[in-house]
Amino acid sequence: MDGLTDSGHGHFNTKHKWRTEFSGCNYVVKNDTVANHMRVVSLSSFLLRFNYRSTHHLTSNGFYEFLNWFDERAWYPLGRIVGGTVYPGLMVTAGLIHYVLNLLHMTVHIRDVCVFLAPIFSGLTAISTFLLTRELWNQGAGLLAACFIAIVPGYISRSVAGSFDNEGIAIFALQFTYYLWVKSVKTGSVFWTIGCCLSYFYMVSAWGGYVFIINLIPLHVFVLLLMQRYSRRVYIAYSTFYIVGLVLSMQIPFVGFQPIRTSEHMAAAGVFALLQAYAFLQYLKDRLTKQEFQTLFFLGVSLAAGVVFLTVIYLTYTGKFSLSLMRYLCPPPRYAKIHIPIIASVSEHQPTTWVSFFFDLHILVCTFPAGLWFCIKNINDERVFVALYAISAVYFAGVMVRLMLTLTPVVCMLSAIAFSSVFEHYLGDDQKKDSPPTEDSSDEDDKRNSGNLIVTMLMLMLLMMFAVHCTWVTSNAYSSPSVVLASYNHDGSRNILDDFREAYYWLRQNTDEHARVMSWWDYGYQIAGMANRTTLVDNNTWNNSHIALVGKAMSSNESAAYQIMQSLDVDYVLIIFGGVIGYSGDDINKFLWMVRIAEGEHPKDIRESDYFTPQGEFRVDKAGSPTLLNCLMYKMSYYRFGEMQLDFRTPPGFDRTRNAEIGNKDIKFKHLEEAFTSEHWLVRIYKVKNEGSSRTSSFLRKARS
Amino acid sequence: ARRLMRKCSDRGAKMNDASVQTLLDILSGVGEKNVTNSLLCTKTLLMEKVGQMMDWASKRSVIRMNGEKFRRFVKAPPRNYSVVVMFTALQPQRQCGVCKQADEEYQILANSWRYSSAFTNKIFFASVDFDEGSDIFHMLNMNSAPTFMHFPSKGKPKRADTYELQVRGFAAEQISRWIADRTDINVRVIRPPNYAGPLMLGFLLAVVGSLVYLRRNNLEFLYNKNAWAFAALCFVLIMTSGQMWNHIRGPPYAHKNPNTGQVSYIHGSSQAQFVAETHIVLLFNSAVTFGMVLLHEAATSDMDIGKRKIMCIAGIGLVVLFFSWLLSIFRAKYHGYPYSFLMN
Repeated sequence: MDGLTDSGHGHFNTKHKWRTEFSGCNYVVKNDTVANHMRVVSLSSFLLRFNYRSTHHLTSNGFYEFLNWFDERAWYPLGRIVGGTVYPGLMVTAGLIHYVLNLLHMTVHIRDVCVFLAPIFSGLTAISTFLLTRELWNQGAGLLAACFIAIVPGYISRSVAGSFDNEGIAIFALQFTYYLWVKSVKTGSVFWTIGCCLSYFYMVSAWGGYVFIINLIPLHVFVLLLMQRYSRRVYIAYSTFYIVGLVLSMQIPFVGFQPIRTSEHMAAAGVFALLQAYAFLQYLKDRLTKQEFQTLFFLGVSLAAGVVFLTVIYLTYTGKFSLSLMRYLCPPPRYAKIHIPIIASVSEHQPTTWVSFFFDLHILVCTFPAGLWFCIKNINDERVFVALYAISAVYFAGVMVRLMLTLTPVVCMLSAIAFSSVFEHYLGDDQKKDSPPTEDSSDEDDKRNSGNLIVTMLMLMLLMMFAVHCTWVTSNAYSSPSVVLASYNHDGSRNILDDFREAYYWLRQNTDEHARVMSWWDYGYQIAGMANRTTLVDNNTWNNSHIALVGKAMSSNESAAYQIMQSLDVDYVLIIFGGVIGYSGDDINKFLWMVRIAEGEHPKDIRESDYFTPQGEFRVDKAGSPTLLNCLMYKMSYYRFGEMQLDFRTPPGFDRTRNAEIGNKDIKFKHLEEAFTSEHWLVRIYKVKNEGSSRTSSFLRKARS
Repeated sequence: ARRLMRKCSDRGAKMNDASVQTLLDILSGVGEKNVTNSLLCTKTLLMEKVGQMMDWASKRSVIRMNGEKFRRFVKAPPRNYSVVVMFTALQPQRQCGVCKQADEEYQILANSWRYSSAFTNKIFFASVDFDEGSDIFHMLNMNSAPTFMHFPSKGKPKRADTYELQVRGFAAEQISRWIADRTDINVRVIRPPNYAGPLMLGFLLAVVGSLVYLRRNNLEFLYNKNAWAFAALCFVLIMTSGQMWNHIRGPPYAHKNPNTGQVSYIHGSSQAQFVAETHIVLLFNSAVTFGMVLLHEAATSDMDIGKRKIMCIAGIGLVVLFFSWLLSIFRAKYHGYPYSFLMN
């Protein structure tokens, strides 16, 4: 019960982490090495499948066709416009690499490009982190930072082979943009700034997180102004960056006119105006006497304030622009928890516990404040930037687990600064230190050297612990929970559970090409990608009511569900059932979220309380609520399970995941029939009997009339 | 007719003399048939009650009731209106924090209804405080507050007429949805814009501004790097120790086992944490940070060699000790984690 409500489920829009603790059973979600990835070529898991499908579409049909792509295989019967609703950076990058390689007559499949894209980009991330840290501190810190980011768990989750994900390339773009920005502030040259804009453009095309850049850079400029560190270099860098970056970012179809409309981008515009005004005043100051300048200054300031005030009032009044600052300051999960169950249901939209911080960053989380301390103590223009970066990123990471990703690079950089400034003095400084304190006896010198040695050894040991931790985390938690599960016996030998691929292969071979498969949204991309069948809902959760309809079908009784499924033209229903092997990520454990989401849209038909016992427990055994014991999901999960005795110590129909004997063993279907159950019962597929003679759906008929 | 009248007035004890007089006139005027009389009596009583409720509702959007009022206007027939009642305990000595929050939401809901254009006398919002009507709590067998109940215009309240606070929370939107479900009346929740945030911000700015103004001759403190660095470090440490999680989830400070009386400060699962635990982590993190800074200072400062040596030893001691301690706490929480350093 605890795990059920806490861990939430699923994979919302972008990526996943699998941090469920598997209680009591020895099944661990785990992938294999890169070699295995090659063999299986599982572009690990759910939504990555979608990215792969889009990339495939792009390479086989060309760029313009991709922009206009309408995917009728997903969200049946609605379909989905893909071209205008995705960030195309990832697909275009993979497509471009594929194109270039083929041009050089190196024939590789697009799939191989996709599998290895993330590792390549993580290498680039390490390089750009090195460059950025070198600009901020020195070369040694840069090298350490590159080492850290190469192995830190917080980032490695996106950079394992087979993780074909927006974030993987976006972090590179982020770091590289920041490097170029720091460089352009330092030099004040338009060359670096244009480079920064291009990198920013790439970031915009790749990930929605570009908003972080377009707010952090203006913040940096603003703080520089406040600190009276205004210089011509800052003026050139920011003015160029803002204008060119704005124009470039608007070229992405999904972004469109947002940069001049939404409040996320207003800070950048405001700082731009401020910077111009400041520069103008500086100019006037040189030309006018002090008295004149003061009068002019006050006049100008009051006029500007008035104009800004009136504009904001006018815009707010006409509703073109909402002052939604509070939305950003108030933690989103709290907002969403009340309003949108589908967001609350996703484990990535939760605030972060200290355990997550420690798990993802280990020693770096304790040492990076020291790096921040050194940076602020020896402040200069670019260190202001990294301090702001750290403070804002740590705030966002605290609010949402998912944003740990943006915190990781800055933590690596600052920790590297901390470690390198310690090592600088304790590692191999004998020659330098020898000359000034000549009065020290050689005896004391020896002592100090041995002291230095101990400090160095201990520090290196801590870093070694970090490396070991990273290896462990990577192999246990972050090697993508792909479609292949592995289980460990007591003697340590490994079984591979290949049920998912078995089931998807079955679907592909044995069902009609246009068959429509209903499943919970987590598996939408997988079914579309691996089984090549039409799905009703998928991991792109753009249409809540459609998802709620599927949830309603799953949580209604059979006859009510049948009506819904008829109206949606469903041919097959696919569910995940872990009761046989004790796999805790199955549909029964996610079931309450289906109920909640369904209740959100259909409060009259579905009530969450009906699925609990009067004591408020969620039980699948005899004491469970009758509504639960007769709903479609329960019946499909436990159909014929009552006859099955897994173990001599347990009664027949004993569910290993929930450690309970099921309450309804006599399950019969009227409108469905079992079509396929995989080896370990992990995937079960049911066929919806087609009773009515007319195959055209009511849905389509409605749409036509 | 006289007996009937007494019955009537018994039911409607709140009626004043004038209304009794009118009623008497009407009754004596109309005639003998008991049925008609009782019907009429009911009707009049109903009108009286509705009028009274409307009167109260126009004064306050949530009608406060004591035991007597509750029995007459909510419990007793005749009624043609639904009443949503919040049972609560708002007195400060009851120390019910949830009640206060629930009350705020309820007020928002009731006000949205009161000032909406769809306002009718079909539904009223009322509240009963435990200290004013504890007998009602006993009568309804209620032992927790706040509780929301709906009393339909006809018949007794069913199971679904008690709002599931635990499950649905007390957001006004949720309550309104529940009301729509029970009565088919849609209350559109309109939240008054929240001025508290901007006001606080303005206040803070004013305080800071006046401080700066007062010390305008001595603005050195603004250039104090130590202060700024310290503030930044505080913020970072607060965030990395999971205080935001505490803020959103509101966990208990520590857990006391009722059987053994043992207090545990560390939550056993990696998915959750206690407040005490985050404070410990905050402390450990800052100790490690401080150790690192000490190590750096030991190597760079120009103090005499003895002091520097002590600093160096203290620094490395802090780093190693507190880090391994932190690691052992992590290990206790994250089951199956194999590594430890110096201590288990």
